[in-house]
Amino acid sequence: MDCFVFEAGGKRLGIEARCVYRVADDARPAAVPLAPPCHVGVIYYRGDLFDVVDAGLLLGDRSSLKDENPYVILLKWDQHKLGLIPERIAGMKWIEAPKGAEDVFTHDGRRIRLIAPEDIWRLLSDLSYGH
Amino acid sequence: MNRTSIKNKMILSFLALLLIVMAVVGAARQISDNVITGLAFSAALALAAGIIFGGIFSRSIVRRLNSLSGAAKEVSRGDLSKEIPLLSRDEIRDLEEVFARMVSDLRNIISEIKEVSTRIEETGRSLGVQIEKVLSSSREIDETALSIAKGSEAQSLIVQRTSLVFDKCLEQMNEAAQKSTQTVSRTVQALQKTETGEAKARETLHYLEEVLKQMVENAEPIYRLSGKVEKIKMVMDVIEELSRKTDLLSLNASIEATRAGEMGKGFALVANEIRSMAENSRHSSHEIRAIVDDIFKDNKAVLASLRKSETDIDKGRTLIHGIVGTFGEMLSGVKQISAEVQDVGEASRKQVQEMRGLLDQFQELSRLAHENFVSTQKTTINTKGQKEQIMEIARAAKSLQALSEKMVETQRRFRLPEA
Repeated sequence: MDCFVFEAGGKRLGIEARCVYRVADDARPAAVPLAPPCHVGVIYYRGDLFDVVDAGLLLGDRSSLKDENPYVILLKWDQHKLGLIPERIAGMKWIEAPKGAEDVFTHDGRRIRLIAPEDIWRLLSDLSYGH
Repeated sequence: MNRTSIKNKMILSFLALLLIVMAVVGAARQISDNVITGLAFSAALALAAGIIFGGIFSRSIVRRLNSLSGAAKEVSRGDLSKEIPLLSRDEIRDLEEVFARMVSDLRNIISEIKEVSTRIEETGRSLGVQIEKVLSSSREIDETALSIAKGSEAQSLIVQRTSLVFDKCLEQMNEAAQKSTQTVSRTVQALQKTETGEAKARETLHYLEEVLKQMVENAEPIYRLSGKVEKIKMVMDVIEELSRKTDLLSLNASIEATRAGEMGKGFALVANEIRSMAENSRHSSHEIRAIVDDIFKDNKAVLASLRKSETDIDKGRTLIHGIVGTFGEMLSGVKQISAEVQDVGEASRKQVQEMRGLLDQFQELSRLAHENFVSTQKTTINTKGQKEQIMEIARAAKSLQALSEKMVETQRRFRLPEA
């Protein structure tokens, strides 16, 4: 399967390519009041409104926001729209589909954790707003 | 007053007696014719008259002599208060007058003696006081002379020491005069060196001006290079932006190709190639940017160094200007110093001469101090002798006072009439 690989919070992560809608730059998210720290804001991209989160803070242990003009990976699946700010984008990789519940695979000698967009959405939804 | 001498009186008395006798004789002849009876009668009458006259005459003399004798007794007892009566008109009158004069003289003498003794007493007392004063003064003179002697001795010592110090001073001043001569020659050398230094500083300033001009000329290409590097950086920014956009475009192309499924696989390969190319381009542009940054940094450092060099050269120029000025000031200062040192040398030489004169005077002063010491010693001895003499005078004054007291005592024996 085609996998979109990126790095965030010191980890190498992979996401199924069909969920990736676009990679945008020059995106300036508008901040949302009372949002959790990893929620950077929202952007409007070609008719859709995306929640933009700092992937490093949400999925790892450090912020990915280093550049003033970061790339934003725009995900679109079912009815959800989410933007992830990575540290670095590795690109599109073709991998063997993981077996069973295993979500970790190896590419070019490096371990890549496959993550589903629903899991990201759930993690974001579990966060307490207003703090 | 008419005086009659005793002799005349006696002659007159005899004549009167003879007249009486003759009268009696005449009367007796008339009465009696008897011569013998007449003679006897007249002789008796004459004898009686003689006895009467003689008694009266002798009593008159004795009475006056007794009066004189009584007065003499009173005088002998010291009573000079009574007046001597001048009763007689004969030779005893002379005696009375002489005696009266003698008493008067004696009174005067006693009065004078009294006065003199009072004066002697007063003089003795005054002399005693004066002697005390003189003794006190003599003691003071003695002490002062002693003090002067000590002072003279100390003065003599001080003068000798001062002479030694002056001698040393003279030696040092001689040395100073010699050194000032050496200093004059050294200041002349310094003057020459300062002139050379000034000329060299002017030459250095000229060279520095040349170097600065050369530096400004040499810095021009570097400034131009800096401008070009800035332009290269701008171009690099554009290239980087292009590679970034290409990367993004290829990434989105590969996403779209994946979404297209089997149909998009070829396109995905192309997109990957493009992305790889964009990556390489970005990598190369990063390297070029690093090199350009290095060049820019080096160029900046060179420019900073050039500016610093210019500033330093400016400072150096200012400093050398200052040095030239300082050399000029030094030159005038050294000239002034040279003149002053020459003056000082001259003054030192004059001072040495004057010090020599002063030393001679000090030696003279030392001699005088010694003489002063000897004189004060002599004065001390003389004051001792004087003191002894004054003591003698004091003793004489005391005996004089005793004598005057004795005189007063003696004079008290005489009684004078109250004034």
